[in-house]
Amino acid sequence: MYLSQREERILAGESGEVLQIAYRILLALGRLTNASRLVPIKWAHVSGVSYLTIGDYGLEFLKRIAFSSHSKFKVFTTVNPCGMDVEKWDSLGVSPEYASKQLEIISAYAKLGTASSFTCVPYQSYRVPPAGTHVAWAESSAAIYANSILNLKTNRESAVSALASALTGKTVLSDLHLDENRRPSKNLRLSLKKHERLRGSLDFGILGYFAGSQISGVIGFQNLRGLKSIEEAKALCAAIGTTGSSGMFVLHSKEKVEGIDFTDRDYEGIFEKLSDVERGEAIVFGCPQMTIEEMYSLSKMLYGKKLKKKCLVFCSSKVYESARTRGYATIIESAGATIVRDACADFTPLISVLNVDSVETDSCKGAHYMKRVHGVRVALKTTNEILREAAIAN
Amino acid sequence: MIVAPLRKGYKEKKDRIFKVRSIVEGRTVSGHVLFSSQPIAFLQGVDPEKGIVIEPKHQIYGKPFESRVLIFPYGVGSSVGAYVIYRLKKRGRAPIAIINQRSDITTASACAIAGIPLVDMISGTINQFERARSIIVNSKKSEIEVVDW
Repeated sequence: MYLSQREERILAGESGEVLQIAYRILLALGRLTNASRLVPIKWAHVSGVSYLTIGDYGLEFLKRIAFSSHSKFKVFTTVNPCGMDVEKWDSLGVSPEYASKQLEIISAYAKLGTASSFTCVPYQSYRVPPAGTHVAWAESSAAIYANSILNLKTNRESAVSALASALTGKTVLSDLHLDENRRPSKNLRLSLKKHERLRGSLDFGILGYFAGSQISGVIGFQNLRGLKSIEEAKALCAAIGTTGSSGMFVLHSKEKVEGIDFTDRDYEGIFEKLSDVERGEAIVFGCPQMTIEEMYSLSKMLYGKKLKKKCLVFCSSKVYESARTRGYATIIESAGATIVRDACADFTPLISVLNVDSVETDSCKGAHYMKRVHGVRVALKTTNEILREAAIAN
Repeated sequence: MIVAPLRKGYKEKKDRIFKVRSIVEGRTVSGHVLFSSQPIAFLQGVDPEKGIVIEPKHQIYGKPFESRVLIFPYGVGSSVGAYVIYRLKKRGRAPIAIINQRSDITTASACAIAGIPLVDMISGTINQFERARSIIVNSKKSEIEVVDW
């Protein structure tokens, strides 16, 4: 990979150890992916924020990066959800030991200079740059959304590579940064009868869960109808990222490449695999985190009602603020749900401390990870189905 | 004149040198080989204090990485596993170099932050080193040399 003279000097350590490590990471990735050179980015989105995922070793590394002198992120940088709600971790049952480690991680990122909100849907709360802009986003669901819906250009970055990109303001020019690699590698033909009209997060989650497991390159959908909302696209992207390494899809593929069918049987097979219990003891909404539109429709459904079950609703603090201003948050909380800000349903201890054996959710990604990380069983249902049963008139 | 018989398994120098692709460059190092034909998951499969694989059925279960040239096909699992290698390096329990069949993002970023030379084999297979005892890794010249079979 070509490096400019200035980049070579930074790699040699001229600008300090932190930037040297960052360039070493980029060089290694560039060699791995046969990149020709580095390219400037406008936005980095870093993952590896929850103490549950990065642990003491990640914290140790992060502190070394953050508290070296002059360490600052060079471009606009957003961060993934962290391991708890910073203001009410105590009442949610998080241990003080865990909380203090999580706060250390947060202060390291704050020192480096990130946007204040912890979110896996950064495109909800911050202004999206024009189509074609190079960015470096970790968090698979957001990266797939960026490439497929927003027409930004990013690879599926890792926690470490996105950190290097935030520190340098650059990424490697390879894979999905190049137009010739952004064409479908295989098509996925929707051949459904019974489930012909895909609607809502659950349906598109199931489609994504299947597509991701079948196609590792760019996915070309064919005969795809529906997909009318941000929320459906978000569920589709999240599920694709859960089961495979694809970083992008094309909505209406005309590419003449090999095709795979998605049938009623595939749909039902995925549903049965993810949903292993009829009813859950608690409800989890917001994987990926809720959009303001979802907060609105949830508040509409919960207006004047009480929930019979524990219910956690995950959103970013930015979305929470708007939901509060508009009155949605009060309605949701009055119904008995707990809104958890800036955290993640999957990679935090918040589900484990609920002490339940099963949960209900509308998210395929959530179902996949909550089973594995928290050992709970999952009832996969649409939001309507969940609330029809659990919300009773006050 | 009595010529000492060549040791069994002796190979000419040219047959002991292999071209590799350098992913992370570092000092030339030489050391005993720890070989695994199975991938390694750093995040949950490796003890970050001891530097050993802790998956019970793994081929190199319990064998220390320390001061070894570690050979395995590729890394699997979360990219956060890179921090485990960084920790091993800090504690002096990391391998001195890594040879992969085809490197992956986790192993590459791990070696980059920990400063461990990393090469992979774009042609040829790592299986030919299964019985190698000692290897020199010259990442700057993109070359490895088996010194003892």
